[in-house]
Amino acid sequence: MRAATLSSVPMSAGPDQSTTAPVLRVSGVRKSFRELEAIRNVSLDVSANEFVSVLGPSGCGKSTLLMMVAGLIAPSDGTISINGSPVTGPRPEIGVVFQQPVLLPWRTVLDNVLFPIELLKLPRAQYEHRAMALLAMAKIDDFANHLPRQLSGGMRQRASICRALIHDPSILLMDEPFSALDAITRDEMGVELLRIWQANRKTVIFVTHSIREAAFLSDRVLVMGRRPAMIIEDLKIDLPRPREIAMMESEPFNQHVRHLRKSIEASHAQ
Amino acid sequence: MLSRLRKSAGELGWPVGISLVLLGLWEAAVRGLGIRSIILPPPSEIIEAVIARRELLLAHLWPSLYLTVLGFALSVIGGILVAVVITYSSILRRTFYPIIVVSQVVPKISIAPLFIVWFGTGTMSSLLLAFLIAFFPMTINSALGFQSIDEDIHRMARTFMGSRWQIFWKIRMPNALPYIFSGMKISITLAIIGVIVSEFVASQEGIGYLIKLAGGLLDTPLMMAAITVLSISGLVLYGLIALAEQHSVYWQSSSDIGGIAGG
Repeated sequence: MRAATLSSVPMSAGPDQSTTAPVLRVSGVRKSFRELEAIRNVSLDVSANEFVSVLGPSGCGKSTLLMMVAGLIAPSDGTISINGSPVTGPRPEIGVVFQQPVLLPWRTVLDNVLFPIELLKLPRAQYEHRAMALLAMAKIDDFANHLPRQLSGGMRQRASICRALIHDPSILLMDEPFSALDAITRDEMGVELLRIWQANRKTVIFVTHSIREAAFLSDRVLVMGRRPAMIIEDLKIDLPRPREIAMMESEPFNQHVRHLRKSIEASHAQ
Repeated sequence: MLSRLRKSAGELGWPVGISLVLLGLWEAAVRGLGIRSIILPPPSEIIEAVIARRELLLAHLWPSLYLTVLGFALSVIGGILVAVVITYSSILRRTFYPIIVVSQVVPKISIAPLFIVWFGTGTMSSLLLAFLIAFFPMTINSALGFQSIDEDIHRMARTFMGSRWQIFWKIRMPNALPYIFSGMKISITLAIIGVIVSEFVASQEGIGYLIKLAGGLLDTPLMMAAITVLSISGLVLYGLIALAEQHSVYWQSSSDIGGIAGG
């Protein structure tokens, strides 16, 4: 069961990503809630299969940015487009992982993972195999028929990652997915996430307020300043992959962390 | 499973034991003090009366139970429908919710004589009173259940392109189930009260009528027998709902099922 690989599972045909055009383009986006300006003039491009973190202090508007990309809230100004077409609402090529697992307590883990399939009115039978393969990859296939309350916090969040991947989206949005977990579980989950991502390449936008987490996971880290949020730093993390926890002790890693911390401090000093 | 059974049997041990002791004390006091059974019959005499007059009791129990269950069923359907409407229409919610709540100040039992005037002494009055009394907790509890969905769950369903219809059936409905069952447990007891009161006021049959009749005849054992039969019926109806709840709300342990007060 555990040996199941995702490559053996039929998937919906994804968009052609052979071109170099960005998968996600955010240009000149501003968002204000009444008089309060949450985000000021954010522009960014993310290319296919890139792992990008958005790093910033709590309440700086990074989650708002993510929810705009997910199509849940509309920007006040500017445009967001995915694969060249503007975002006007939720769309099937996006999968979202929230801060909380938000599993439905009355559904088994497997039925929770298949929930998007039901909502999207796709044939369930075709995706059951994929769901089991995803659960196996997240090492929780033994719990497929358990209810969420029988799982630990970390296992629930793994299940919610499986749910976000079930319909084979090209973009995975993650809104501080590990911040509710304890520190040890959190590090483990980071490694697990990279392993899943390595086997099942997606474009990932990962929102976090942990500098080390952002540096460990990402190809690129975008630093957001305090409200009204702008992107104040775009740092490439050129550390080799696959990455292991031991890497967090290495000097190149710590150089990146120091660099990121400095730019955050500089933005606070203003 | 076995240990759970043993545990619930152990939990029942104390209340059942105390009840038996109290019944024993009652029996001994009535006999020892020579209290006449027209004032207070001993438990043994009540049980005798239940057995001896079973046909009379059953003949009056059925119409009462029938109206109770029917009135209860109508209140469940009506309560859920109204709850759905006020969940989805903010205008109707802002209009009717305060009216429904304020109308609860009127003790509905006081309306019973009015219903007799309007609908006669037949079954219609009893049915309507049962419905009216049972309707309120159903509506309030269901509305609470439909509206108490987690904002994150709602957002999650929307990112996966769930429609309003899907969100209602796949999220709001199961989420409301524990609340609906809490409402049902309150409503079934109230429906019984509605029917009995209506039968007190004016009726030619039913267990409420029998209690009043026995009172008039100073047949206290019959009166107590009727109350006993009524209580057992109420307990059975409540138990059936609790059983259905345990089966349907399988994802919650009984300790965290909350109603209007929590959950």
